[in-house]
Amino acid sequence: MKVEKSVISQRGKIVVCPIEPVNLPEKVATYMEIDFDPLFLEPFSKTTIYLTFPIEIGVFVVAKKDIKPLDVFSFIPQKYSLYGPSNGGVISRWAYSPVYAAIPEVNPFECGVMQLTLHNTTREWVEVARALFEAYSMKIYYSDELVSMSAIMRILSSKTAETEFFKEPLVEGMKKAIEFYLGRDIPVVKHNGMMEWGLV
Amino acid sequence: MVILERLQELLQTPLFGTSLSVGNLLWLVVILALSVILARLTVTNLRRALENRMSKNELEILLKLIYFTIVILGVVIALPNIIADLSGLLVAGGILGIIIGFASQSVVSNFVSGLFLMVEQPVKIGDNVNVGSISGNVEDISILSTTVRTYDGVFVRIPNEKVFNSDITNYWANVARRFDYAVGIRYQDDAGKAIGIIKNVLKDHPFVLQRPSPTVFVEELGDNGVNITVKIWSPARVWWDVKIELLWKIKVALEAEGIEIPFPQRTVWFPEPLKMEERQKVPHEKG
Repeated sequence: MKVEKSVISQRGKIVVCPIEPVNLPEKVATYMEIDFDPLFLEPFSKTTIYLTFPIEIGVFVVAKKDIKPLDVFSFIPQKYSLYGPSNGGVISRWAYSPVYAAIPEVNPFECGVMQLTLHNTTREWVEVARALFEAYSMKIYYSDELVSMSAIMRILSSKTAETEFFKEPLVEGMKKAIEFYLGRDIPVVKHNGMMEWGLV
Repeated sequence: MVILERLQELLQTPLFGTSLSVGNLLWLVVILALSVILARLTVTNLRRALENRMSKNELEILLKLIYFTIVILGVVIALPNIIADLSGLLVAGGILGIIIGFASQSVVSNFVSGLFLMVEQPVKIGDNVNVGSISGNVEDISILSTTVRTYDGVFVRIPNEKVFNSDITNYWANVARRFDYAVGIRYQDDAGKAIGIIKNVLKDHPFVLQRPSPTVFVEELGDNGVNITVKIWSPARVWWDVKIELLWKIKVALEAEGIEIPFPQRTVWFPEPLKMEERQKVPHEKG
């Protein structure tokens, strides 16, 4: 869909950058869920994998610390899912990703790369095949070649886990993207993704 | 000086034969007015600051709580100024109290129901609901009444007592809901192929949820064709849009592959061949 807007400005800037992928075709979710091939994690282990995640691109007008979104678009189709039961679960932007051992080559206009540390804090083997992330805490970084996020998934039991993003780029020199959801957030509240309805 | 003295006299004039003076009453009015103004200013500024940070329902409840807290504080501050010997008013007040009590029975009932609705929250502002015989979107939940905007844009005010005692269906209380289609195809069409085509249409739609996945199956071998049932889960906030959009897409996709929706039809078997020519001759023979 073509969007045309007239901006009347003398010192304003137009910023185009990747944003949290939960806005298209309309906003129905604040979570992103990534399915991947099942992994079995040994007790008290910590391992790092790389996943891909879908990209949405935001166009903003910026002036004097105020940021207004003009448009959001994407080059890939969207799909949503329900994590948990319909009474108590959450709607999430859904995507599938293969599991990579190193940073994969992807089209930065379509997919980003997430470095995910899987931390099994339990004393048992745990099977993991999906991860749920809260859009309010996403920290996206970008360059001409790559869009990235870094996160950790702390496995608390065979059915529950917690996800949290790190404020660090995957490769040095990447720029921090505008946090579309930060402005609506209450700063003192920590937004971690809680997975209470299973990891598979 | 004379004016000031007269003003002072006026302010100290006792009211209704009690020790309550005009000055006390004025002071009460000023404090109450100030508390209402302060409450409104606070609520307006808080609404501006928090409107993008909280859900509308929570914000409205918080603002109402703050508003009434400030007003009640104003009353508490103002009360010592009118503490006086009110025994003269007691008899009149008692009778008045009984009258007001009877008159405000429904008001109190609505007020208490409103408090319960705010605590229990069976409906929230913005929800898509059915209360008794009224369907629409909840516009506001105030202390005494709930406002619903019906689907054809009509404003309906429902007393909270009625809301509390009615059957409430909240279409947005759960985050996802299911809806069904029945799609008929002809007997000569391949049902397996039709199911595959329908599944592809559903797969391409963003709001047909990945989990729980849609179910497509042959439900019935009907009189006129094979009936395929399609069960789809969608986010509760957009399910209606998805429902009205998808059926036509399914029909178009099926027809593009040569699969058609059957018309009602009957095959009639006659024990002997029809004798059309002989019947046509009958009138001539009679004539």
